[in-house]
Amino acid sequence: MDKPGRASGGLLTILNESGVPDVLSPLHAARELSTLLPGALVIVAGTRTEAYLAQTLPAVLPGAPTTPRDSRLRFIVLDAGETPEQGQVASRVIEACAGVPKTRMALLVAGRSAELMGVDADFEARLAARRLEIPVKVVDPDPAPDSHACLSTDLEDHALAALVEMCRETTSDLVAANPASPKRGGLLGGFLGRNRDEDREAKRTPVVLLGASPDSAEDLSPELERAGVAVSGSVSFGVPAAEDLPAIGEGTVVAPLDPHLATACRTAEKRGAKVVRTLAPIGVDGTARFIQDVSAAVGTPASEIAHAREVWAGLDSLRNRVRGKRVFFAGDTGLELPLARFLADAGAVVLEVGTPRLDRRALAPELHSLGSDVDVVVSPDREGQIRRIDAARPDVVVCGPGLYVPLVARGHLCRTTLELRQVGVHGYAGARRILELLARTFERAESLDALDL
Amino acid sequence: MRLLRGVYEGPGSHGVLRMAAGMRGVRAVLRALPAEGYFHSLHGAWARSGEPAPVHISPVWEKPKSSREPGDAARDFSELIRRHPETEAVLVVRSETALLSGEPISATALPDNETGRAPRLVACEWEAVGMGETEAADLALEDIVRAHARPAEKSPSPTVNLFGPPLFDPNAAAEYDEAKRLLSLLGVGVNARAPLGATISDLRRLPRAWANVLIYRETGDAATLFLQDEFGTPRVTTPMIGAAGTGAILRSVGDLCGLDAQTVRRAAWNELGTTAKLPWYARLQTPETFRGIRAAIFGDFTRTLGLGYALSREVGLEVGACGTYLTHLERDFLFHASTFTDGAFVADDPEEAASRIEDSRPDLLIGTHLEGEIADNLGIPFLPLCPPVLDHPFVQRPIMGYRGSSVLADLLEDALRRPRREQREAEPSSTELPWTKEALEGLEEIPAFLRGRTRRLAEERARAAGSREVTREALEEARA
Repeated sequence: MDKPGRASGGLLTILNESGVPDVLSPLHAARELSTLLPGALVIVAGTRTEAYLAQTLPAVLPGAPTTPRDSRLRFIVLDAGETPEQGQVASRVIEACAGVPKTRMALLVAGRSAELMGVDADFEARLAARRLEIPVKVVDPDPAPDSHACLSTDLEDHALAALVEMCRETTSDLVAANPASPKRGGLLGGFLGRNRDEDREAKRTPVVLLGASPDSAEDLSPELERAGVAVSGSVSFGVPAAEDLPAIGEGTVVAPLDPHLATACRTAEKRGAKVVRTLAPIGVDGTARFIQDVSAAVGTPASEIAHAREVWAGLDSLRNRVRGKRVFFAGDTGLELPLARFLADAGAVVLEVGTPRLDRRALAPELHSLGSDVDVVVSPDREGQIRRIDAARPDVVVCGPGLYVPLVARGHLCRTTLELRQVGVHGYAGARRILELLARTFERAESLDALDL
Repeated sequence: MRLLRGVYEGPGSHGVLRMAAGMRGVRAVLRALPAEGYFHSLHGAWARSGEPAPVHISPVWEKPKSSREPGDAARDFSELIRRHPETEAVLVVRSETALLSGEPISATALPDNETGRAPRLVACEWEAVGMGETEAADLALEDIVRAHARPAEKSPSPTVNLFGPPLFDPNAAAEYDEAKRLLSLLGVGVNARAPLGATISDLRRLPRAWANVLIYRETGDAATLFLQDEFGTPRVTTPMIGAAGTGAILRSVGDLCGLDAQTVRRAAWNELGTTAKLPWYARLQTPETFRGIRAAIFGDFTRTLGLGYALSREVGLEVGACGTYLTHLERDFLFHASTFTDGAFVADDPEEAASRIEDSRPDLLIGTHLEGEIADNLGIPFLPLCPPVLDHPFVQRPIMGYRGSSVLADLLEDALRRPRREQREAEPSSTELPWTKEALEGLEEIPAFLRGRTRRLAEERARAAGSREVTREALEEARA
C-alpha cells in the first residue's frame, strides 16, 4: 500500500491512514437507481442482508422519501446451504419483470454473497435476457476485487458500466450511426434539434457524456455545443430504454463527468471508445478544462479561458462568502477531490480531503491541480477523523451520513456529500450551486446562532 | 429462493448490533466486507444523538501480508481496547457474506482494559446465514447475560428486571419508563433493565431480582429462560398492552413479590381513574362506533398480540386478520392469536401478508411501514404501531402500560372518527361489474399489494366507458 509521502511533481501530501473509513454501503443507491431509470426494474439478489440494506438505507438519507408507491425494486433472497439450480435466478427475474408493466430493461444487482452461494449472475442474466427479449445486465454492488476500499458510489459506477454495455456498437460508418442517436432531454432535444443539425453533426466525432445524473448532462451539453463539440447523447440514469442510449465504440469519445466512474470508463474503452481523462467538470476551472480537453479530443480545440474568467467574475459576490472558510472533506463518494479543488480555487481553506481509495491514474489530473497546501488522506479512520475535526474546528465539514449526526451534535456545521450531489455540482451552473449551498449553510448557521434560546 | 418486494427483518448480524449498541460498556465488532458499512448511518438517523454507535467494522478481505490495513481480527480487537479502554465486553458478529466466506468464530484473548481486567469476548457462535435479526438479538442477549450473570442474594425489598425492546424499536425508551413507573406504584423497584441502557454491572446483578418482566418477549425470551433455569427467577410474559393486559402483569408481579392483593388492586384502580383512558374511551363511545368494524393487525409478536387482545376485548372491534413475520415464533403466535381471531397467520413475504390482510376486508389496519401502502389502496386508516417503522420521533410515546392505553385510545378515536365509506364494498362479483376471464387472469399477475387499487380503477374505467363488464383492456389502462 501507499507509504506516507509526497506525490510526484507537487508539494501535495498524500497520507495513508490505514483506517476503516465511514462509507455507506453502495447498496443504498439501488432504490434511487430504480426510481431514476424510468424503464428499469432493479432486482437485488443475495442474502437477507442485501435486501435489507437496499430497502432500509434510502430511508435514512437526507431528503429521502419513504417507501415510494409502485417501487421498481425487487429482491431475490437466496436460502442458505442450498445451491440454487442454474436458471432459477433467471426464472425469478422473469417473474419479477412480468409483475411490473412497461419494464424495458432489468438490472440484476448481485455481488459477492450471491457468488458465494453459487449463483453465476452473468449466466442467469443472459438467460433471462434471451427469454424476456429485453436487456438484463448484472450490476455488482461491491467494489472491484483489486481495490480494498469501497466508495458509496460503487453501485452507481457499475450500473453505468451496465448501461454502457447496453449501448449500440458504432458502425464503421459514423454517419449511419449518428442520426439515430437521440439527444438527452428526450422529447425536446429529439424533436427540436435533430433534422436541422443532422448534416453538420454527422461530420464531427460524436461525444458521449457519462454520468449518473441526467440533469448534469443537460447542463453540460449546451456548454460543449457552444465550444463546437457535438454531443451525441449521454449515458445517465435518465434514459428510458436501451434504444435511447447513444452508440459507443470505435470513433466515439466518452467524457466521464465524475472521477469515480472507473469501471464504466473501462467498459467504454474495451469497446474501443476513447475516454477523455481530464478534470471532472466540477467548479469553474474544472469545467473549463473539461470543455477544452473534450473539444481537443474531437479535433476542434477551443479555448475556454475567456469564458471561465467571465464566470469567475460573475461568482465574485458568492466567493466573498466562502473566502477564508475552512472546509474538511471526510470522503465517501470519490467526488471529494474535485470539490476540494474548486473550493480551494474559490478561496476556501481546505483542511483535509479524505478518500477511501485513490485511483491515481484516473485522478492524476485532479491531484495535479489540487493546491499544494491540501492534505489528502487515503483510507481515513472514522474515529481519527472525528478527533481531527474536533481539534481543527473547521467552518464546515462535508461528510457521509454516518458522520453527519455525531458531528452536528458536537457543534460542527455539516453538509453531506449526497446533498451536494442532489443540487447538481457539474458545469458552470453547478459551480454556482455549490457556492450557493455553502453560503446558505453559513447564513442559516449564523441566524440560528443569533437566536437567544 | 424467493422473490420479495421487501423484508421485515434485517440479517442476524443487524440484530446483534442493535442489541449491543443499546448497552453501555459493550462494543460490537462486525466482521464484514468493506462494502457492508451502514450501521452508523442508521444509528445517526434513529438515535439522533452525538454519541457515535459503539460498532466497529473489522474488514474481511484478501490483503497483502505486510499491510498495516485493518482486517486482522485479533489486532483489530486489541486496537479497539486500546482506543476505548472503558470497554467491558466485546461482541463479535459476522455478516452473512463473512459467514459464507467461511469466516471462523473469533476465539482470541483480549488485552486488559483500564480496570486491569480483560473484557469478555462474546462470539455469537450460533450465527447462521438467513437468520433474522429478532432471533439473533434474542440469542445474543442470552449469550451476554450468560457471560456476566453471577449468583447473588435476592434484593432485600422486591425488585424485578425489565426485559424490553432493543435499540431502533419505536418508542423503546418510553415503554421501559412506563413499566418502571407502574412497578413503582406497587413499591417494586427495577433491579436492572436490559438490553437498552444496560451496563455490564447491571447484567452481573440480574439474578438479584425476584422476577423478570418481559415487556418485549421477542428479544428477551432466551435470556429470561436461562435466568429461570440457572437462578430460578420466574418470568412474567403477558403483553403489557391495554388496561387488561397491564392489570394482569401487575397482579402477576404482585403474586411473585408477595404483595398484598388489595394493594395491587388499589394501585390499578387508581390508574384506571387517572391515566388509563382506553376503558373510558370504550365506554364513552356508542356501541355503533365499533359495531362491524374489522381491524387487521400485522407485525411483531408482542405488539401484534397485545393490540389484538386490547382491540378485540377492550374496544370491541372484530379482528379479521392478525399476523406476524416472526416465523420462528409461529406456534406460540398462532396459539395466542387464535383466542381472539380466526384470521391468525404467519408470513414473512409482504405480498402474502398483503393478500391475507386484503382478504379480511378490514376497516382499520395496524402494521409496519410495509403495510402503509395496502391501507392507502384500500382507503382505510392506518396506524404504524408495529416495528419495523421508519418514524423516529423526538418525543416518544409508549404503547404499553396504562399510559400506552391512553395513547392507543387517542389514535383509535382519530382513526375511527373519519367518515366511513358510505357502504361496505360488497364482493366484486355481486354488485360490481362482472370481469371477463382474461381480465381476471390479468388481475392475478398484479402484485397483491397493488391489486385492490387496480381493481377499483379498472372498474371505474369500465363504467366510465359505458362497458357492462371489465375487460382486459380496461385493466391494462388502469395499470398504466
